[in-house]
Amino acid sequence: MSKRKGKAKLVAQREILENVRTKTFWIGILSFPVILVASILIPTWFQKKVDIRTFGVEDHSGWLLSAIEKRLEMPNFEALAKLLQAKSPSEDPQDLSKENLPEPPKVSIPKDLRESTLGKFLTAFTQMSAKAAKGTNGSNENAVEKQNLNTLLLNLLDTLESTDIGSLLSHIPIALPIPKGKAKEGLKLFLRNMRNDIAKFNDWIKTLPEEEAAKLKNPHNTSKFQLVTKGPEEQLKEQLKKEKIFAYFVIGKDPVKGDEGNKYISNNLTDQGLRRWFSNLANGIVAAKRIQKLGISPEKAAWLQTPVKFAPKKLDEAGNEAEVASKDIALKWAPVAFVYLLWISVFMMAQMMLTNTIEEKSNRIIEVLLSSISPLELMTGKIIGIAITGLMVVGSWALFFALGIYLLPTFFPQSSGIISSLGLGSILSNPAYLASFIIYFVLGFLLYASVLGGIGSVCNSLKEAQNLQQPVILILIIPLLAMMPIASDPNGTLARVLSFIPPFTPFVMMNRAGGPPATWEYALTSVLLLFTVWLTFRGAAKIFRIGILMTGKPPKLREMLHWLRAPVNR
Amino acid sequence: MGINLSEPALSEGFPQGEPSYALEVRHVTKRFGGFTAVSDLSMKVPKGSIYGFLGPNGSGKTTTMRMIMSIFYPDEGEIRVLGHSDAAEVKDRLGYLPEEKGLYKKMKVREIVAYFGRLKGLPKKQAFERATQLLTEYGLGDWLDTRCEAMSKGMGQKVQLLGTLVHDPDLVILDEPFSGLDPINMELMRDTILALKKQGKTVLFSTHVMAQAEEICDSILLIYKGQAKIDGPLSQIRGSGHRAIRLEFEGDGSFLAKDPLVDHLNQTPNSAEVFLKPEADPQEFLKQIVNKLKIRRFDMRDPSLHEIYVRTIGPEAAKEFGHV
Repeated sequence: MSKRKGKAKLVAQREILENVRTKTFWIGILSFPVILVASILIPTWFQKKVDIRTFGVEDHSGWLLSAIEKRLEMPNFEALAKLLQAKSPSEDPQDLSKENLPEPPKVSIPKDLRESTLGKFLTAFTQMSAKAAKGTNGSNENAVEKQNLNTLLLNLLDTLESTDIGSLLSHIPIALPIPKGKAKEGLKLFLRNMRNDIAKFNDWIKTLPEEEAAKLKNPHNTSKFQLVTKGPEEQLKEQLKKEKIFAYFVIGKDPVKGDEGNKYISNNLTDQGLRRWFSNLANGIVAAKRIQKLGISPEKAAWLQTPVKFAPKKLDEAGNEAEVASKDIALKWAPVAFVYLLWISVFMMAQMMLTNTIEEKSNRIIEVLLSSISPLELMTGKIIGIAITGLMVVGSWALFFALGIYLLPTFFPQSSGIISSLGLGSILSNPAYLASFIIYFVLGFLLYASVLGGIGSVCNSLKEAQNLQQPVILILIIPLLAMMPIASDPNGTLARVLSFIPPFTPFVMMNRAGGPPATWEYALTSVLLLFTVWLTFRGAAKIFRIGILMTGKPPKLREMLHWLRAPVNR
Repeated sequence: MGINLSEPALSEGFPQGEPSYALEVRHVTKRFGGFTAVSDLSMKVPKGSIYGFLGPNGSGKTTTMRMIMSIFYPDEGEIRVLGHSDAAEVKDRLGYLPEEKGLYKKMKVREIVAYFGRLKGLPKKQAFERATQLLTEYGLGDWLDTRCEAMSKGMGQKVQLLGTLVHDPDLVILDEPFSGLDPINMELMRDTILALKKQGKTVLFSTHVMAQAEEICDSILLIYKGQAKIDGPLSQIRGSGHRAIRLEFEGDGSFLAKDPLVDHLNQTPNSAEVFLKPEADPQEFLKQIVNKLKIRRFDMRDPSLHEIYVRTIGPEAAKEFGHV
């Protein structure tokens, strides 16, 4: 018996050696990191290469365009506030924990800016809103959510410019050096300081590396859309005809009153990006004007404009509500990546089993081998050899992946955000994922390699095999199609039903790992799968031992079923 | 020993008196679906002999060999190889060269010979040593680390043969070893078979070319349509029939067949194997033809295997062999 095992081992060793020497193996190993890098770099590269949309505007209102231009100059106050906060953590570390930041900041705000009026305002504002959110749990309508900071500040600055409402003072969270009875002057001073500081902040942002600067700029401020001409419509029309501009806008006489006279003219009707972007900007300003016209305070206006949100929470093991980090979401979706990997590796390795079997058969070497070892030993050896080859490939992928996570940010800074936000490290180090991946790989591979080995043994050429393996590929496609529905509902009916069908079990159970399924489901599906693997292996071995020596036309299904019924001798 | 010596030999008078057999096939039948490939076949291969397994293509030779190698299992009957009833037990002591030869293209020459040896149970180091030694002996010393795909056909055939012999088998089974060989390799194959015999090994080989068997075999078995037709030591088989006249000549020999003294003959343009009627005098026959043909050779001898085969299975079936 040990001798027999030894021979199967020899076959496995040779199989590995032979596979390692093929180009396919190395292409398989190296294609993965190439795809990985490409999938991160190409979208960023494409984003940069997007065509610039130039446009012109004729403004009949006289103020909306300049307001829009002014607004575009505003930095991203929220991002600035976060940056300020990161360097001066508040007394309440729980709420302002770094988890809410996309990543630790790479730049820090210089001291003079930090202590400027705007700097103080932002710091004070975030602390105040954080306290309010915590203390009253949002029931107080005066508690302004910090997400709203951009709207609030923009409203405030607009309001301050045009009105002299003294009550505004109460909305400014810092002490203003205002002499008694001279509130108006004080506000004017505050406004001037703020405007100066905004310019200073903008100057500072310009000195930053492009990546960092992009985060601190107004989210609407994009180089993708460029205002190139202002002027009478006739002139804009000419330019559009000559294709010097992509589109032009006409703003009506009184946008606050209604949409009369507003229009967007372009010859490209499919790309609505510019129109939406401009409408959004105008909408924010016009809405603020309307609210202001009603005499509503900027703070209330900000509240009015606050979108309704539902905070995602999860129950932790103790049954308490817990914050959902982006890491948690990545963990939910991680199984999809694993299923892909599992599917590709099972498919690739089972194919290898098929081609190698056919090669041996068409090579006529099979008879020499069978004079030394039994068909069962040969098949076992081949399957083990290819399984190890497969694990080598997948292992190298995992290695590249891990390396990529640590090295990519060094070489390609733009990828760091994507990677850290996914919390991939925690997935890779999660033994449940890796262990189930390996187990399902081995079982899934055994199942499909047996079937394809059996198919390979009755075929004389790859062409014949392609016809015979089609049903197998159809079966394999089902878990791939079901992948997304299962990932979004890991414990739904579809997921449950499919996981009890053994050919789908490895993929579907891997897919459901984010669920995760109940232990009894793991146990029962595994038993079913193991039983099926055993049955398939035995059946394939029977077909293999007869088929491998056959020449001529592949046998009919009925004949093969007949072989299955034959007793196994040796 | 496990060999049944009490059973009488299929043919009497083996030279060593009480023979022991490297291989015994007893009443073996093998069917594939409705087709009977081998039917009630029996044979005994004496130890240390060269045994020819003759028959036209499709007569069941390869199937029998595969059963001997326990690649197939007989439906009926028994096969004892080297005294064991299950060939799987002694697989390591058998060497098998199938008719359809193949090598792993990507493997190196020495590697593949050693691999075949290791599959037969040789330890790794010994397998490589043996492979190196054999390959050098057979003139492939410079090709040890060449990939098989870079070898010529002739060299590939050598490598294949060495893969069969690397583990020093006691019973060597060669399926059509001469087919497709160039004259030099054919010579080499013949010498190898004879050398194996000298070392006390037993060789069983199949062929459909009578002359090859005639040249080197001690014993033969003629198989046709799955059934054994003649078997036994070659000398005995040939001695049992009519004596033949081997004739070589120049001129038109077409009248020979009509000669009243001739029973039948196997003719080629410049030679003939002539069988006279039982009462005819060879001397008389010579007198008759000496004026009509320029005789180059006239000798009396045992009939050729071809003649024996034709007599056994009929001239039509014998045509499948081609000419001798």
